[in-house]
Amino acid sequence: MNIINELAAMSGVIAAGEYSYRGDRFTYAGQLDEEKARMASIMCRATTMAVHMQTDMMKSLNDDCGCAPARGWIVKGGNVSVCVVANVFCFIDSNSASLNEIVKTMRDKVPNQDGQLI
Amino acid sequence: MIKRLMAVDGVMAVCHFRDDGALVEGYGMPAGEQLVGLAKFAHDYKRMVQGNADQLAMFTQVNGWTPPGGWIVRGPAMAVCSVGNMVCVMDNNSGSLNEVMQELAEAARW
Amino acid sequence: MADLEKLIKLEHAQAAFKFSPSGELLEHRITAGSGLTATMLDLLSHVCVANMSIASMQARGWENMTGMQGFYPIEGFTLIGFDWTAVANGEYGVVLPNGQVDYEQAYAALAS
Repeated sequence: MNIINELAAMSGVIAAGEYSYRGDRFTYAGQLDEEKARMASIMCRATTMAVHMQTDMMKSLNDDCGCAPARGWIVKGGNVSVCVVANVFCFIDSNSASLNEIVKTMRDKVPNQDGQLI
Repeated sequence: MIKRLMAVDGVMAVCHFRDDGALVEGYGMPAGEQLVGLAKFAHDYKRMVQGNADQLAMFTQVNGWTPPGGWIVRGPAMAVCSVGNMVCVMDNNSGSLNEVMQELAEAARW
Repeated sequence: MADLEKLIKLEHAQAAFKFSPSGELLEHRITAGSGLTATMLDLLSHVCVANMSIASMQARGWENMTGMQGFYPIEGFTLIGFDWTAVANGEYGVVLPNGQVDYEQAYAALAS
């Protein structure tokens, strides 16, 4: 089972997916239709690009702050949260999913992204 | 060619960057490394603005925002302005933002 | 309301900080020997505010377009860095080592 299907099968996960850094393709599994998954990929990719820029800049302005290259990010909404590690995203129900388990799975199984995001 | 932008009032530094963020040509900064940093910042910032503009277009279903033509980050004394793959740092008190943006737009077409 | 004295006592916390809505660092506590600095926490605060703001735009747009609710209002943002993780919620944040992060505990402490 690949990481996307594995995440989608976890408790409380609404959907999981993967986007290319170039922005030209995406895959997904779970309770989103194709159009919503495309939008989710666009949103997650944009934030990932911004986070990489911010952490690279923090590193260059502040010696080695332990923040770069970024591994991922989480946005916590009222009932839904988004977790991203490298180019894999996961939409979760904040009330029924275990954030720790999901992020651990992602950090263990999604390889680090370093250098150019391509 | 871009060196002539240094003659515009208020312009303190200017550089031209490649699509991968590498510095092509630059003037005005004291050290080479600073120009490389300016090129990288401008490239990254352009990509971020582009991502945000794409989302604005996606959510509003209005196309007038994309692709973005440029951006300005304005501080109290200085501003960073970019059009296309050109970026410049300017002094707010001695230059005109309108003039700098116009010159940058022209230079970006070269 | 979170309390910096309590936050810095979170297991493995390396720093706890409070920031303004525009991202300036207002108060902080740093665990001795962590190597973190106030300058870094100030930059981190701005990163958290910037991303919560962009996430709010995304949440608004997403909910309007898809009808799927639950994102807005954005409560927090977490940056999983190379060595450190910063968890921010509202106007408070904590920094934890990547290998020892309990996200749920951190969010609960920040929200309490």
